Amino acid sequence: MSQERVRERRGLVRSSQNLAAGLFLVFIAALALWLTGDLPQGRLGAMGPGMLPDWLAYAVGLCGLALAGSGLLKEGDSLEAWGLRGPFFVILAVVAFAVTIRPFSLGPLVIPGLGMIVAGPLAIVIGGYATSEAQFRPLLVLALGLTPFCMVLFGDLLNLPIPIFPQALADLLPATWSQKAILRLLAALMVLAAAAMHLSDRGRKSRKIDVVRQPEEI
Amino acid sequence: MKKIAIALAAGLGLAVAADAQAQGNYPQRPITMVVPFAAGGPTDVIARIVGEHMSHTLGQQIVVENVAGAGGTTGITRASQAQPDGYTIMMGHMGTHGAAPALYPNLKYDPAKDFAPVGLAAGTPILIVARKDFPANDLKGFVEYMKTNGDKVNMAHAGVGSVSHMTGIFFNSVIKAKPTMVSYSGTGPALNDLMGNTVDFMTDQIVNVAPQIQGGNIKAFAIATPVRSPVLPNVPTTKEAGLDGYEVSAWNAVFAPKGTSPEIVKKLNDALVKALADENTKKRLLDLGGVIPSDAERSPEALQKLVETEVARWTPVLKAAGTKAQ
Amino acid sequence: MNELISNLSLGFGVAASMQNLGLAFMGCLVGTLIGVLPGVGPIATIAMLLPITFGLDPVGALIMLAGIYYGAQYGGSTTAILVNIPGEATSVVTTLDGHQMARQGRAGVALGIAAIGSFFAGTVATVIIAALGAPLTKLALIFGPAEYFSLMVMGLVFAVVLARGSILKAVSMIFLGVLLSTVGTDLETGQERMTFGLQFLTDGIDFAVLAMGVFGVAEILRNLENTETRDVVRQAIGRLLPNRDDFRQAGPSVVRGTFIGAILGILPGNGAVLGPFASYTIEKKIAKDPSRFGRGAIEGVAGPESANNAGAQTSFIPLLTLGIPPNAVMALMVGAMTIHGIVPGPQVMTRNPDLFWGMIASMWIGNLMLLIINLPMVGMWVRLLKVPYHLMFPAILMFCCIGIYSINSLPTDVMFIGVFGLLGYLLIKFGFEPAPLLLGFVLGKLLEENLRRALILSRGSLETFIDRPVSAGLLLVAIVLLALALLPSIRKGRDEVFTE
Repeated sequence: MSQERVRERRGLVRSSQNLAAGLFLVFIAALALWLTGDLPQGRLGAMGPGMLPDWLAYAVGLCGLALAGSGLLKEGDSLEAWGLRGPFFVILAVVAFAVTIRPFSLGPLVIPGLGMIVAGPLAIVIGGYATSEAQFRPLLVLALGLTPFCMVLFGDLLNLPIPIFPQALADLLPATWSQKAILRLLAALMVLAAAAMHLSDRGRKSRKIDVVRQPEEI
Repeated sequence: MKKIAIALAAGLGLAVAADAQAQGNYPQRPITMVVPFAAGGPTDVIARIVGEHMSHTLGQQIVVENVAGAGGTTGITRASQAQPDGYTIMMGHMGTHGAAPALYPNLKYDPAKDFAPVGLAAGTPILIVARKDFPANDLKGFVEYMKTNGDKVNMAHAGVGSVSHMTGIFFNSVIKAKPTMVSYSGTGPALNDLMGNTVDFMTDQIVNVAPQIQGGNIKAFAIATPVRSPVLPNVPTTKEAGLDGYEVSAWNAVFAPKGTSPEIVKKLNDALVKALADENTKKRLLDLGGVIPSDAERSPEALQKLVETEVARWTPVLKAAGTKAQ
Repeated sequence: MNELISNLSLGFGVAASMQNLGLAFMGCLVGTLIGVLPGVGPIATIAMLLPITFGLDPVGALIMLAGIYYGAQYGGSTTAILVNIPGEATSVVTTLDGHQMARQGRAGVALGIAAIGSFFAGTVATVIIAALGAPLTKLALIFGPAEYFSLMVMGLVFAVVLARGSILKAVSMIFLGVLLSTVGTDLETGQERMTFGLQFLTDGIDFAVLAMGVFGVAEILRNLENTETRDVVRQAIGRLLPNRDDFRQAGPSVVRGTFIGAILGILPGNGAVLGPFASYTIEKKIAKDPSRFGRGAIEGVAGPESANNAGAQTSFIPLLTLGIPPNAVMALMVGAMTIHGIVPGPQVMTRNPDLFWGMIASMWIGNLMLLIINLPMVGMWVRLLKVPYHLMFPAILMFCCIGIYSINSLPTDVMFIGVFGLLGYLLIKFGFEPAPLLLGFVLGKLLEENLRRALILSRGSLETFIDRPVSAGLLLVAIVLLALALLPSIRKGRDEVFTE
């Protein structure tokens, strides 16, 4: 760090990152102490459920105080800018997957179990919007291509008990069709759709690629 | 590319046609059997052995889904709330359908009221075992020793709500002893410390302890059943060893959610009874040290009665010991 | 010696039958696949594949299931290196330098050295099991709660050494990790702790959920702020396999890692998780330039990966010789054995010698197959890195969701990777590293259980930790390590004071 930059930051706070980190730890410690407040402590010979969490909370809190203190006294990094778009869409995608994979109800809100065939594409498309370069069509192609792969892989080959498609759909089809047969049929249809979309998009493809930038110190 | 895809679709079409043969009414698709414990444990093994034969009878695969947690009550709670269409059934046991109301005040189901019992599958007897150089050599000597040195003795169990925990509390209440309880997360680590002489004794299911008894790593005082087990013919029953009032085995039974139609329950019970009559299935259960229910015990009605008597039996024992999980 | 050879030849006779070779191959292939998929662990897969093994003879069935287990260990490191998501506690360390190597275009070298190191470790571990399995069993019985507690304390000290930046921040993360591990139902009393009354927290936080959150999702969130568009052609891929220099650098680490992992793997109660951490700590301590670690040092991949694989293998010892499973996967193997009518216990070796020695022989065969399966795939994996990030991360996200769901079939688990992702993002912004947090979390449960157990047994006397020689020795090592880790920074701190 150059001399000028150090001088520039001489204020009350020398490292906003450490100060914030310390306060965060103090907050967590306080939360833990509040949550374990009514748990019996016990004694060494028969430690109660509250004893160790309390000790740990104090330790975390002390570390937090020390960090916050060092943020005031010692030079260090300052807090970086926060992204909002990324966290928002990523969390939304995860939640969308969670509430659609199997029947979900929260108060008056009731979502029937839609299975991987809906939850998967939802996660991909919503999650994809976490970056500002998101385009709907490539994401849709990706969703339509990857979801059947996962359906066959997890549901058919690995036989994991993951809901694949809504039960209502199976009831529409002839009762004699087996679950696996419906799964394969749906997967094939999705792959076809993805392939068709991909082929029609081909002309518009660019030769650019985005990659994660390397950390500077390397 | 397109050609391949078309060929693929055609192939799948054929597969659909092939699969679409010879299916009656219920069951038309695989049945999920929720096992409320981790895969590999005694209840899971029994569920899989019985489930395999039931699949043959029913003509549809019974898929075991392990939903472990909170002494088995997580899985049972979920399964009890499933559609009562016969496609979700569960393997309950002594803990989830006997002791749970006493252990979990916030339990979301009533073992006697919220289920359509299908039938008893198999039980695993409980043994009283101790580290191999424990001063006493038989149950009488052990009970004597506990009277004078009770506070020095350490009893291991596999965690609050586990079979070894409940049967252990029961044992202590029968012999009126108060050893120091040491809890482990599962039978494996508890046995490890029993073999390493770190703890003194425990009560657990025959499947878990029989190999160590046979291998001479621990010693068995008694088996808590009316008759000896063919797996351990040298271990006396509690009655033979002079202890009355301690007969207990961890039973496992199939339940369906409340509201499942009697026809479906009948179909499932028939398949279960058939499985228990099958020589191969029987042998596999017996090899584990399991106890196969008698004909009279196999009906849904008998299971309903069993649940009611078990809840009545465990509640006072566990409440007196002040044990509860929240 | 002669006995060993005849036993091994019996084993190879069993394992090298056409059917068993095929099953070992199947197992390794499926294992690699599920290992690569983030979140999908061997436990869920083995449980689902159990019915398929009903029709097989017990030896073949167990060979296949064991193949899935070590295949998954192999595959897990691939994900750790390529996308920085540790699927298992044991591959947390691999992310530290492995992923850095991948970012520098040395993904192929990292994957290659991981595969070759693992193969070496697997070979040595197989010989150790065959030759010393029975006597080593006694080691498992020496370890009571007091010894275990001290071992865990030593493990936590490793986490301090493993940190790259501020020691204070590393220590805070360890405490926070241990604190997180205490969430859930108390083992002794059954009371709920810090669960906010939520039912799905009663069994505590799942490791995979936490790891997927603070590594996987948080990593995506961080990368989203750091992406830039580049020309496809300019994206460097680098060498696909390690060259002679790499081998010279990594060779000794592989050997050290193998022995550390092999010893820790024997311990009951999942001592194997400590292997990679211990190996990394040692490599970093004896390196000429420790600052390279965390920035793509090949020793930091080679040592822990070897330790991981050696431990995965030697953890079969307590299962095969005592019938006591040291971790959840092994517990499942117990179930698989009982389903096939073999009740695991001390008698397996004498009653079912073909099973016992056949499985040991198949371990080596399995490792060879893993090498054959994995080396050619390195090129394919590395090419995956060329997928543009704006398409890559939604795919990773979906795989994480499916993988996490497959563990317990709980949608709440899926939501929690989002919550922990936010937490991880926050921690990154505050300049914390997630690895010590995870180590604290993994060791925390064992730490608390064994502390309380040891104190119950000693009736509250803390002397039990010093009176027992093994425990005292481990604590001493921990103190020395801690001093070594702290000294340089204290000295540096003083220097800074003087220069001001």
